[in-house]
Amino acid sequence: MVMSLTEKRYLQECLISKPPLRPDGRNDDQFRPIEVFTDFLPTSNGSSKIVASDGTECVVSVKSKVVDRSLEDDLIVVDVDITGRRDDSPLVQEIASILNRVLLLQIDQEQLRLTQKYSFKLYIDVLVLSSYSHPLTLISFAIYSALNSTQLPTLISSEDDLDVAELPTFHDYDMSKLNIDIPIMFTLAVCGQNVIVDPASSESDVASNGILVTWCKGKVGAPIRTLSLNEEYTRGIHPDRLAESIRLIEILAPKVLQALDG
Amino acid sequence: MSRLEIYSPEGLRVDGRRWNELRRFECSINTHANASDGSSYLEQGNNKIITLVNGPQEPKLRSHTNATKAVLTVSVNITRFSKTERSKSSHRNERRVLEMQTALVRTFEKNILMHLYPRTQIDIQIHVLQQDGGLMGSLINGITLALIDAGIAIYDYISGVSIGLYDTTPLLDLNTVEENAMSSVTLGVMGRSEKLSLLLVEDKLALDRMESVLAIGIAGAHRIRDLMDKELRKHGEKRLANVSSNQ
Amino acid sequence: MSIDVLSVRKRQEGFQFVNELESDSDSDVEMANDEDKVDSGEVAKDGTIVTPGELVTDDPVWMRGHGTYFLENQTYASVAGTVSRVNRLLSVIPLRGRYAPETGDHVIGRIAEVGNRRWKVDIGAKQHAVLMLGSVNLPGGVLRRKSESDELQMRNFLKEGDLLNAEIQSLFQDGSASLHTRSLKYGKLRNGTFLQVRSPLIVRSKKHTHNLPGNVTVILGVNGFIWLRKTSKVDNASDASNVSGRNAATLSGASGDYKPGSNSVSITRLEEESSWEIYSDKNDPIPEAMKRTIARYSNVIRALAHCEIGITEARVVAAYEASMAYSHVGSLIDKDNMESIGQDVINAEKMRGNA
Repeated sequence: MVMSLTEKRYLQECLISKPPLRPDGRNDDQFRPIEVFTDFLPTSNGSSKIVASDGTECVVSVKSKVVDRSLEDDLIVVDVDITGRRDDSPLVQEIASILNRVLLLQIDQEQLRLTQKYSFKLYIDVLVLSSYSHPLTLISFAIYSALNSTQLPTLISSEDDLDVAELPTFHDYDMSKLNIDIPIMFTLAVCGQNVIVDPASSESDVASNGILVTWCKGKVGAPIRTLSLNEEYTRGIHPDRLAESIRLIEILAPKVLQALDG
Repeated sequence: MSRLEIYSPEGLRVDGRRWNELRRFECSINTHANASDGSSYLEQGNNKIITLVNGPQEPKLRSHTNATKAVLTVSVNITRFSKTERSKSSHRNERRVLEMQTALVRTFEKNILMHLYPRTQIDIQIHVLQQDGGLMGSLINGITLALIDAGIAIYDYISGVSIGLYDTTPLLDLNTVEENAMSSVTLGVMGRSEKLSLLLVEDKLALDRMESVLAIGIAGAHRIRDLMDKELRKHGEKRLANVSSNQ
Repeated sequence: MSIDVLSVRKRQEGFQFVNELESDSDSDVEMANDEDKVDSGEVAKDGTIVTPGELVTDDPVWMRGHGTYFLENQTYASVAGTVSRVNRLLSVIPLRGRYAPETGDHVIGRIAEVGNRRWKVDIGAKQHAVLMLGSVNLPGGVLRRKSESDELQMRNFLKEGDLLNAEIQSLFQDGSASLHTRSLKYGKLRNGTFLQVRSPLIVRSKKHTHNLPGNVTVILGVNGFIWLRKTSKVDNASDASNVSGRNAATLSGASGDYKPGSNSVSITRLEEESSWEIYSDKNDPIPEAMKRTIARYSNVIRALAHCEIGITEARVVAAYEASMAYSHVGSLIDKDNMESIGQDVINAEKMRGNA
């Protein structure tokens, strides 16, 4: 949506004042309410759908496959589909590459190990049905919920199969919960001296920059980077804002995880 | 490997239904109010389908303007995870999907009162989250519901269903296993009439059996129409009750 | 203040994909054929729900309005909605649909396109509305002729994204609207913030600009577009000339800077105001407290919309007062709080109705 100059000026003025006056009155560290649905796709190992209050909606499916570890490099593959955007558009490519990198970097592949020879490979498919603001935070929450609800078949054959030419066999119906550390990502918008979490689309439009902070295994981790939220207002950021973002996430992330685990 | 018994001598199908029974059918409208003008969510058996309608609205491209009627577009997104086995391709621009889109546009162009909406565009977006046979029929039902939710004028409901012919027995509302084992027909039926707005026969089918196939298909479609109608009225009444208490 | 940073609602069982869905029906049960069938020569009652393809009447004397079609002497519904009978006109009002413009509607629009001697304006209808260069006041007075140089600098007046306040002047054959802004109360919007609700929630009335307590003015566009701004001189002037029918709360709020003598807008004033200033892209200085008030109004209007309560001046004020129970404006985005405010407003009205 295009805003008029006067709207943008009003909004920018609001957001750079100390403390920031967000258009819906939120605190700088307050997220918009979300609704989470899990386990609605019986043909997937895990699934989730998250709807934000502005109508942004994201569906995630997790499917698994047993692979020979010596033949596969990456045990996690993320595919992103954003409605209304081509697969080769910069936003889709950027989000897909960030997600692939983060999940491969932060999830210990050993946790997917099945036997000496075989591992689970996870295919994470992300479908964004409608997006108004930058969807990365929401996608990351959805992936977190989907992986958290993921059930994998229980192995009943021996783990030691190096010398046996035998495929792993599984219990007929027993499933075990996938147990891995899942990273979550936060987008923050920088407005003047302020840093705000979960920027709405109008806030993103006048932000002077965006910061992406990743949280995994109880601490802030890589990658931490800037994220372009708009073309018009983007400018460099002061290192203080970066430090502030990290401090903010350190306080927020445990609360967010608690809410998501609920 | 033991072959699955598609239709047992006792008259039971793989999922325990009789020959003339529909699958579980549940639907809801106005599910994505913030993201579209009209929306529906449909579960027909294991098919799970989200349909979003946007419009009538200003055409995004000048070339899409028709001075006498609306322009209709349909895009079907079959997700990679919609089947048990994840597909490697994204299904977009696949011939099969393009053909489905064309057939859906043709069907609904005739059903929407297009002349009421000159110089506008109506966009239908479908996301197939899970599929298990008879997909085309479910897409039709999803679109019908979403169009009604959007308040777009149509002549009548179109309800879709697939029918297979196993030996000489017609089977109503096929799932994937059945669909792969026999020839099938997809119908789109106008309201409570016996008019067909869509007839898809993609396999070989004995013509002398066609009549019995159509008969059970039309009966099944009427039943689906009634189920959709019931949901719409329920939604409408809830809505009216809400408004009258708030005015 | 202890506010949850993130409120999460979870759903997990059954057909949980959809909001508010009670899976109470077993689809295996045979449907009872309990629909009210229209008998020969009759017509569906006012207010009954009909769905597409349903026979509304087979009596050909009725004129067929929106939401119906005529086939072989019978009138059918084409949308799902309620039957409405006005004299001999039979129509079906859809439960949902885009804004349908009517002549005289006070709307807010956003410029979508600058064209040849006209602007295309998005008013949330099926088609963009048209604003002709000849239908706006330009700097230099109302009676001035539009020249070629005006045509060349149309973007200096209104450009893509700009919001304006206008009246539907007329409708074209195809249902699209033509706008005009030839009055002081119309024109470009400044000093505030925009929000949008479903258009049926705004009831057509004599007046759509209201001065609210706290020196804030709201424009409730019939098309569901809403503008909240700092109350301007013009707002006060038009308010003073229209004192009747306002509630006391507004009066006390707005009378703060009431100036005698500014209560009628003369032609000369009009010309004075028609300077470049009306197309300015600059905002007046707005104090922070007022911005906070605007944010609160914006949230309570969203809360009313969430509860599907028709939005009127009185209700906005009532909801604003009810919202004072929440000291933090940001807590009003929570669903439960929105619903409780909506309930408060309805309850207050019922109490007054009974008293």
